[in-house]
Amino acid sequence: MSTHQKYRYENDCKPDENRKKGASRWSHCRKRGADGNLRKSHEVEEPGKCSQSSHRPESFTTPESEGPVSRVKNWGDEVEAEEMRSNVRRDMHRYRRRILEADFPQRDRKISSGSSDSRDSRDSKESPAKGDLETDETTLIRRQKQINYGKNTLAYDRYIKDVPKHMRQPGVHPKTPNKFKKYSRRSWDQQIKLWRVKLHAWDPPAEEGSDLQQIEEIDLGEIMDFELDVECSADTGSQCPTSSGASLSLAEDSFTGTPKKMMKIEDTEML
Amino acid sequence: METSSKEEYTIQSFDLETQKLLKTALKDPGSVDLEKVSNVIVDQSLKDQIFSREAGRICYTIVQAEAKQTNGNVFRRNLLNRLQQEFKAREETRKRSTQEWVCLVSFICNIFDYLKVNNIPMMALVHPVYDCLFRLAQSDALQNEEEVDCLVLQLHRIGDQLEKMNMQLMDELFNLLRDGFLLQDLSSMGRLLLLEILEFRAGGWTLSETAQKYYYSEVTD
Repeated sequence: MSTHQKYRYENDCKPDENRKKGASRWSHCRKRGADGNLRKSHEVEEPGKCSQSSHRPESFTTPESEGPVSRVKNWGDEVEAEEMRSNVRRDMHRYRRRILEADFPQRDRKISSGSSDSRDSRDSKESPAKGDLETDETTLIRRQKQINYGKNTLAYDRYIKDVPKHMRQPGVHPKTPNKFKKYSRRSWDQQIKLWRVKLHAWDPPAEEGSDLQQIEEIDLGEIMDFELDVECSADTGSQCPTSSGASLSLAEDSFTGTPKKMMKIEDTEML
Repeated sequence: METSSKEEYTIQSFDLETQKLLKTALKDPGSVDLEKVSNVIVDQSLKDQIFSREAGRICYTIVQAEAKQTNGNVFRRNLLNRLQQEFKAREETRKRSTQEWVCLVSFICNIFDYLKVNNIPMMALVHPVYDCLFRLAQSDALQNEEEVDCLVLQLHRIGDQLEKMNMQLMDELFNLLRDGFLLQDLSSMGRLLLLEILEFRAGGWTLSETAQKYYYSEVTD
């Protein structure tokens, strides 16, 4: 992608949005940019742009206020940021409606289980009082980005295809953290980490040529298939490939970070 | 996803190989170089006046297709950034070729019209679009029928949306147009075009029946 080289950002940029782009105060220490390309250490990128960035751009485009932002922003980024904000606001409206429904359930119908990250309004223990929602947009956007990283994985795709919502068991199946609840930063980050680790159980069997860990997973894939023949006969109602994953993860509830598939080797050796 | 006949029609101006590329982009965006596709589209829209007014639809379709297939927005990002470059160079473009300049404005406005974010126009484009229209409302541009024509076309198409996004700027723009109409030495066609757009906005972005008859019916003499 060539656009990242064309824009030089000042140091007051928000780190989240501009992490991948161009030089920062400390980037001369790094051999590679965040996108993996080697930096050319002494090359001045597009000197014309440098001077341009120090005074007002030709267009009097005023960025929507989300705190201090660099004036020199490219449209691609701006629109992505707009989209994220708009999505978060929409999610907030939906969530608030859902909470209201939970507090005042209509007599005629059950509370519907919609599909979004924040579904647990039913459980009154967990449901935040209306005043206790996380409403800070910066935080919500940051959390949404973290959720998006997790959802943009093959594992997540396979997971949702595999286990429909009504079949999900709490504790067993990974559940997307609810970005609207109040949590400390550490607590939230830890929830995300745990969620993503749990999702790894649905990683696809790797192809050849990938790194070492994934090569091991090829064998595990075969072993899992072998296991399935054994497990499926005992386990009638559930879907085979991940029920083995699910039941094993029940036993192993300490998320030490060891991929679950590694644990399965030991199990099968015992067979 | 099938290529609708409208899209078929607009891509006929391309050579066969490019047509194929675009058709694939519409159906299977993950399989093509979307940066290349966006460049192809922008390049053509700067040359071909008809295409510049209709390309927004194709872009929209590709954006949707990509979002659905890979959840990505490589195409949109590349398109917008390329558009931004062209926008920055607009004054030089205008000096070099009025036709290219007019095509650029049409294209930016068409993108503004079609590429919406959750059904809201892209805020990032509001000021750039206004910048273009303000440029067209300057006295040197008003002398030029081609530019006036472009200006009123855009206002017909997206004026109401632009006004919703920023009423104050629209007021300022129309002040310029009113002044231009009254004070400037315009061709009779230029004057007519401006008068019509002034009435159009005054009528709430629509033309009354009488006005419609006045401006658009053939005079039989």
